[in-house]
Parts: sequence; C-alpha cells; structure tokens
Amino acid sequence: MATAAAVVAREIPSPEQASLWSDAWRRLRRNRMALISTIYLVLLVLVALLAIFYTPYRMSAVGIAPTYSGPSQAHLLGADGVGRDVLSRLMIGAQISLIVGVGTQLLVVVVGVTVGLLAGYYRGWLDSVVTFIINVFYGIPDLLVALILVFLLGPSLTNIIIAIVVTRWMDMARMVRGQTLSMREREFIEAARASGAKPVKILFGHILPNALGPIIVQATFGVPAAILFEAFLSFLGVGIQPPTPSWGSMAADGIAALRIAPHIVLAPSIALSITLMAFNFLGDGLRDALDPRSRR
Amino acid sequence: MLTRGTLIYIGQRIVLIAFTVLAVSSIVFLGIHRLPGDALFSEHLHGQQYELLLHHYHLDEPLWIQYRDYLTGVVTRGDLGESLVNKGVQITPLVLRELTISAEVGAFALIFTIGLGLVLGVVAAVRQNTWVDYVLTTTSVIGYSMPNFVIATFLLLVFAVWLGNQTDGAFYYQIGGGWTGSIGQIWLPAFALGFPYASIVARLTRASMLEVIRQDYIRTARAKGLKETVIMVRHALRNALIPVTTILGPLVIGIITGSVIIENIFGIPGLGKEFAQSILNRDYAIVIGVFTMYAAMVGVANLGVDLLYVLIDPRIRY
Repeated sequence: MATAAAVVAREIPSPEQASLWSDAWRRLRRNRMALISTIYLVLLVLVALLAIFYTPYRMSAVGIAPTYSGPSQAHLLGADGVGRDVLSRLMIGAQISLIVGVGTQLLVVVVGVTVGLLAGYYRGWLDSVVTFIINVFYGIPDLLVALILVFLLGPSLTNIIIAIVVTRWMDMARMVRGQTLSMREREFIEAARASGAKPVKILFGHILPNALGPIIVQATFGVPAAILFEAFLSFLGVGIQPPTPSWGSMAADGIAALRIAPHIVLAPSIALSITLMAFNFLGDGLRDALDPRSRR
Repeated sequence: MLTRGTLIYIGQRIVLIAFTVLAVSSIVFLGIHRLPGDALFSEHLHGQQYELLLHHYHLDEPLWIQYRDYLTGVVTRGDLGESLVNKGVQITPLVLRELTISAEVGAFALIFTIGLGLVLGVVAAVRQNTWVDYVLTTTSVIGYSMPNFVIATFLLLVFAVWLGNQTDGAFYYQIGGGWTGSIGQIWLPAFALGFPYASIVARLTRASMLEVIRQDYIRTARAKGLKETVIMVRHALRNALIPVTTILGPLVIGIITGSVIIENIFGIPGLGKEFAQSILNRDYAIVIGVFTMYAAMVGVANLGVDLLYVLIDPRIRY
C-alpha cells in the first residue's frame, strides 16, 4: 500500500509543490531590473573579495602615476591628485561600502527583530516605551545624529557601523512589531500557546519564520541607506579616515579637481549610484516576489 | 478651523518641542564635554595665557556649573555661547544669519521637490502602464538612489565645465540673490537638494492617485461630465495628497541634512556649511549650537506638517 501510494505521488506532478521561497525565486527571476541588479551585486561582491588579495596597485601608494592623469592602459581609471591609482582605491572602497551596508543590516536585523518581537508580543509598558523611543528617533535628523555620534566616538569602521545601527534600527523594529501584533491574534499562534509552547518558541519558532519575507525586504532596502550614510560621513571627512579610501571621501577629494580631472570624482560617484540603485531595484523585486499581493 | 482645541494642541506641541530641543542640546553638550582631549588644543598656548583662555570660556569650572550656566543662557537669553576657534564670535547671531541663507535655498528646494514630484506622480498615474509610466517609475528609482553630492557633481560638470561657466564660478553665493541670482547660486543647489526627494514624492503620489481614481466619487464626477483635468486636480489630487503629506516631515529633515553637504559643494555660507566646518575644526560650541537649531527646526516643521493635514482634510481635527 505504502509503496503504491508513493509511486502514485511520484507520477502525478503536483503544481502545489512549489514552496514560498521557490515561488518567490521564480517571480524574482522574471523581474528584469532585479535580475540585472543581482548579477551586478554578485560581481561587486566578487570584486570586493578579490581586493582582499589583489589590487592592481597598492591603494595608498602615492606618485605611481602622474597626478591627475586620466585613464590609460596602466591605470584604467586614471590617477588622483597625489598620483594614486583610482581603480585600486575604488576596489577597496567597494569593500568598505559592502561591509558597512551588510554589517549594519545584520545588526539592525538582530536589534530590530528582537525589540519588535518583544514589544509586539508582550505589549503593555514595554510596547509603550519602545513606541515612544521609535517616535523620538523619527523626529530627529538621523544622518546628523550619526554624524555627531561618529564625532563623539571617533572615526573608525566599527564606530561608523554602530552610529548607523543606532540611528537606523527603528524601521525594522516598527515593522516587526506590527507583524507580531497582528500575528499573535491568529489561530496558529493560539494553537501553539494552547499546546503549551513557551514564549521563546512562539516568538522565534512561529512568528519570526512567518515575518521573514518583510524582514528580508526591509533589510535589503536598509543596505543602500547605510551605504549612503557612510558615503555622506566620509564625504564630510568624519567617516573612513585616510589613507583608506571610501567612495564618499574619494568623491570629496575629486570634486575640488572637477575642472581638470573629472574622472576622479566620476568614478566613485558612478560606482556609488549604481550600487545604491541595484540594491533598491533588488529590494523592489524582492518585495514584489515575496508578497505577490502588493504587486502593482 | 482654528478651534480652541487646535490652539491647545499647538500649545502642547510647542512645549513638547521646547523640551525636545533642550534634551537634544543637553545630550550633545554633555556628550561633547565627556570627550577626551582639550577643547582648546588648537590654540598652542601654555602657562598663564592658557589659564586665562580656559577662564574666558569658563572651562576651568566643574562640568555641572558649566552646564547650568549654559542652560540658563539658552533658556533666558537664547545665548548659545561663544565660538571656541574664533574668539569673540557670538554663536546666536552667527547661526541666525546663516539660517536665513539656508532657509532661502531650502525653501526653493522644497517648492521644487513638491512641485516636480506631484506633476510626475499624477502624470504617471493617469498614464498607468504606458511607456510614460514605466519611464517615470524607473527614473524615480534612479533619482532616489543618487546621493545628493553625486547629483551636485553632475550639475557642476554640466553647467560649470561642459557648458562653459554658467554659474559665476559656482562657488560664490550672493546673499539675498534669490531666484533672480545666477543658476549656480540657487537653482542648482536647490535641484541637487530636492531631486532625490522629488522621486519619492512622485512615487507616493502615483500610488496614492491610483488608489483614489478607482473610487466611486471619481466615477460620479466623470458621470456629471466634468472635465478630466478638473476631476484629476480638484477631486483626485486633493484626496491623494493626504498620504503624500506624511512624507513632508522626513522631506524637511532630508533637506536640512542634505544642506550640510550641498552648501559645502556650492560654497553657500549657510548653517549646513557651518555645521560641517565646526565639526572638522572641533569647534564644540558651534556644533552644539547648530545642532540645537536643527532640533528646533525639525520640531517646528513636524508641527507644520500636522497642521497642514487640517487644511487638506477637513475631517481631521485636533
């Protein structure tokens, strides 16, 4: 009997078999902008990984090319004001951007999800406090708070990440809180509670997996925001410190030489814009893929 | 419209804003004074001269007395203190003068952002799923993905370098030049400040218009034989504006934040440039002063937005 049933099950391909994730992946592949963006981002990650072992020149090596010289065979993106190779610096800059972007979002997910789950599930005074803090944070200019924080903590990669997490965790917390609030009233949570599941099990075993889609979308949109923060801080000179390049500080260096050597400012500006765009298109695609109802 | 309830609400909000500003100001004050190192390190002074300077700024007193004096100064006289780098420069008049300049550029950016965003959003919604719509929605992602300093760079490249010098050097700002000034003085900075947000406004307007134009009362308006433009502007857009209004608070914050970079690029002697400069110069007194100013501006802007709801939607009351 059992084997017969198995044979039947194997012979009748059921269209209902596709899981949420494979469905989402199928929808994402059909979204052309999201697909192109994914390919670009994979390449960017590869370039950043490559830069750990290899850059065409040392990123801080001064005077290896004539200052302000344009793109040439030896220096594909030319040289900057002190004769450093722009391409090598751009590659290191990609590392910085990705570390900041992905690093902050990993922390934001941890903080935001924990706070959101607890506030949404336990409600009461905890929820009131969390909501109040979130509202206060919404009322102040986050970038400037991050600026002040980095200024107070001192400029380093870790402090930049901390500053961005402190000013950017609210969106995630608010979203997870909303999801939890609506989900805790649903039957499957009631069933879990009735069968004696502990709160930890309910929060992380039942509610969290069901909120994973929106969390991924939110985190994807958070990455370009964080990269933009870092570029902003570095552009003003309070972010990543020389000689380590960041796309923001490279652009700031280049803007003074706009008339004589526009390539210095254009290279990081274009890299930054395309990267932010790719993350935004991917976020759009993921949102449409994971929540088909929101499709335009 | 201005009922007693509304006035009480405004009063409460102003008190709340005052407390927020005070809190922000205190946090930054205490935070900065906890920093290791010497606030006067750039002075290269020793011995008695140094002691005199410390005394001049009351830095030789205990922190809590400094804090008390600072607070009384802010609350009673609106006095934000004296610049640590340029001795004798009072911060309050300096910051107020710079505020008028920043406000001029910011106002242009705001008008531009909202105007362009609304027009593009309505057009995209009316022409939904045509190539116009696709071009506009794709451009809007590009728009809000470009950092404002990248937009500023491109504008400078085009107007100051490629098209010859259209900007009077671009690094020059005539106070009170207004919209009659050269494009480099106000139009380019305003565009660079507003463009990313115009894209967001356009996206929001589009989504909210699409929702509204499917409503029954729009069909009724059509059935009455009203002109399409009248329907769109008077019936649809007005109702579609409510969700768009929510973005105005973040928009004002965005323009304030953006000005810190844009004023540096275009050489506008405003509040944003002062803020960035003071941070680099470690002029703590000015950093605290300008940040206090920003907190006040954001509070007032958020209040303004909330009052705007009442204007747009008579059903909303406080």
